Amino acid sequence: MKRRIPAGLLLGALVAVGIAVGIAACGGSGSGKPTGSGSVRSLTGAGSTLVAPLVSEWTAPYQQQAGVEITYGAIGSGAGIESIVGRTVDFAASDAPLTASQATVCKGCLEIPWALSATLVAYNVKGVPSGLRFTGQVLAGIWTGRITTWSDPRIRKLNPGVKLPDTRIVPVHRTDGSGDTYAFTSYLSQSSAAFKSEIGSATSVSWPGGIGGNGNSGVGGVLASTNGSIAYMAIAYVFENNFDYGLVENAAGKFPTPGIRSIAAAAAMLTTVPTSGTSGISLVDPPASEPAAYPLATFSYVLVPTASTTAAGTALKRFISWAVTAGQRYGPDLDFAPLPAAVVSADQQILRKVR
Amino acid sequence: MTTSTPTPEVSGRDRNPFLARTKLADKLGERGLRICTFLAALLAVALVVWIVCKLVHSAWPAIDRFGLAFVVHRVWDPVTGQFGALPFLYGTALSSLLALLVATPVAIAIAIYLTELAPSFLRKPVAMLVELLAAIPSVILGLWGILVLGPFLGNHLEPFLKSFLGWLPLFSGTPSPYGMLNASIILTIMVLPIITSVTREVFQTTPVADKEGALALGATRWEMIKLVVLPQARPGLVGAVMLGLGRAIGEAIAVTQVIGNAAQIKASLFASGGTAAAQIASDFPSANPGVWQASLIYLAVILLVFSALANIAARLIVRHGTVR
Repeated sequence: MKRRIPAGLLLGALVAVGIAVGIAACGGSGSGKPTGSGSVRSLTGAGSTLVAPLVSEWTAPYQQQAGVEITYGAIGSGAGIESIVGRTVDFAASDAPLTASQATVCKGCLEIPWALSATLVAYNVKGVPSGLRFTGQVLAGIWTGRITTWSDPRIRKLNPGVKLPDTRIVPVHRTDGSGDTYAFTSYLSQSSAAFKSEIGSATSVSWPGGIGGNGNSGVGGVLASTNGSIAYMAIAYVFENNFDYGLVENAAGKFPTPGIRSIAAAAAMLTTVPTSGTSGISLVDPPASEPAAYPLATFSYVLVPTASTTAAGTALKRFISWAVTAGQRYGPDLDFAPLPAAVVSADQQILRKVR
Repeated sequence: MTTSTPTPEVSGRDRNPFLARTKLADKLGERGLRICTFLAALLAVALVVWIVCKLVHSAWPAIDRFGLAFVVHRVWDPVTGQFGALPFLYGTALSSLLALLVATPVAIAIAIYLTELAPSFLRKPVAMLVELLAAIPSVILGLWGILVLGPFLGNHLEPFLKSFLGWLPLFSGTPSPYGMLNASIILTIMVLPIITSVTREVFQTTPVADKEGALALGATRWEMIKLVVLPQARPGLVGAVMLGLGRAIGEAIAVTQVIGNAAQIKASLFASGGTAAAQIASDFPSANPGVWQASLIYLAVILLVFSALANIAARLIVRHGTVR
């Protein structure tokens, strides 16, 4: 006697089981963070690749100190700003201050400078040593396509005694929204009216030609594999990968070596520090009164909502407060200069607004 | 006298009380099958409609501002809010076309070899290896493009092409590891296994009688392939090429890693460029909501329309080809 289960019944049963499992799986998985009262065990952040090495350096000591795990995604300043606007993360890191339109969309975000770094001009040309001198005008000329070979007289004039080959210059830029782009284009816009009108300054601009790379690491990859290329990159990436880098002229006419000292000199020029938490601080091209100031220093900001929807507000305050004080001692190893005292106290004042 | 009631010829179903009850279960099962499969089909259709509606709705700020002129604008500038699709559509068309131009003859050749000429012990392994190409994740191919193909192109192949064919605008310009040529080669590698496997299957459906007839009439191997196998495979070949085209148009990750991501139209294959999919992949995470984001979605809508048109064209050609 054969028992025959009708195929339709079997199919219907399978579908029903599948739906039940699906509902159970969806219902079972909740978010890892408890909301409301109770301690927050983890904070998520996203944004700038420039500050990523420092944030990852902070993770272990802060976990030990406060028991809170920091998860950070280095997706670029622009994407970080997007994330905090959408409140998909607790904090965002950006090397560029919020534009007016971004600030409106973010609805009550505070920008707090928490790291001090710099953008360098790195290059890869066979036969050319590190330490070439550049001015803002020359750099603007390279990236607008006016200076096309390494043996151009304008570069040679700045570097007598260096044998420059006829290789074509390949300018490299960032394809993602980047605070490095913001700092670099701000500097070039101040140095060259042509650059300002043709390209402008923002976290993402339209470059005439050249090659684009994604993130500091993508740009580093392009730089390493293309002879004759020149790029702007965060200082930590340049030093770590031993790229040749150039010396950029500052307002005093000097060519300071990029490093903690010259970055700190640029930050020491600050006379007033805003405490509103709604504006950035520009360190680009500081005035001539400090000859040792590096002209491409930049603050990196952490963006936090004034009122967090979850209980993360208190945890955020504690984390950022630690980051701008105790956390700064992890900076110099990664080529971040310590924040000037004026900025730290301003930060503490801004933090009081976070709920 | 015992008269045995004649047992009528009935199915086991009526005789077995358990099976008799399943008549109802049969009806329910039949109904259930119909409903479940209908829901699945409805889900697929609803998904397509929903995606298209959502895309157009999100792209509306850009459609409203630029209209159809978006397709011919050349500038992509987030600073001034000027966006145009032309460089990316050009890049998509050029890289896909080059990929298909190179991959199709090679795929046909591989398919002919595997179906007609290879010794039988070789067919399965080679076929499997070709299909393995399709299994390589696109990100891996992109990495290979950066680490292996890029330096080879920049240091050897492109200077070589430039020295011999540099008078052609296609091969003028500075040799570079990143650019349209690199992206086109990566796309060729991605598209090759798809076209090959579909073409191979189409060739295998050639009626054996036709092939043997041609050979019996004195045709050489090549004449047999040319006169019997290829003509009847034409509609299927078109379908295979269209499948490959679909893959080439939509490839974002591998292309954005090697193409240089520049919004420009240059004659030289060595120059960087961009494709629509690659631009969306690289810009979207950081695009500010507003015209920038809407323009990227508008680009996606154009891509969708283009793919749909290519699909429809393929079906029409196939149908026209099979109706004799």
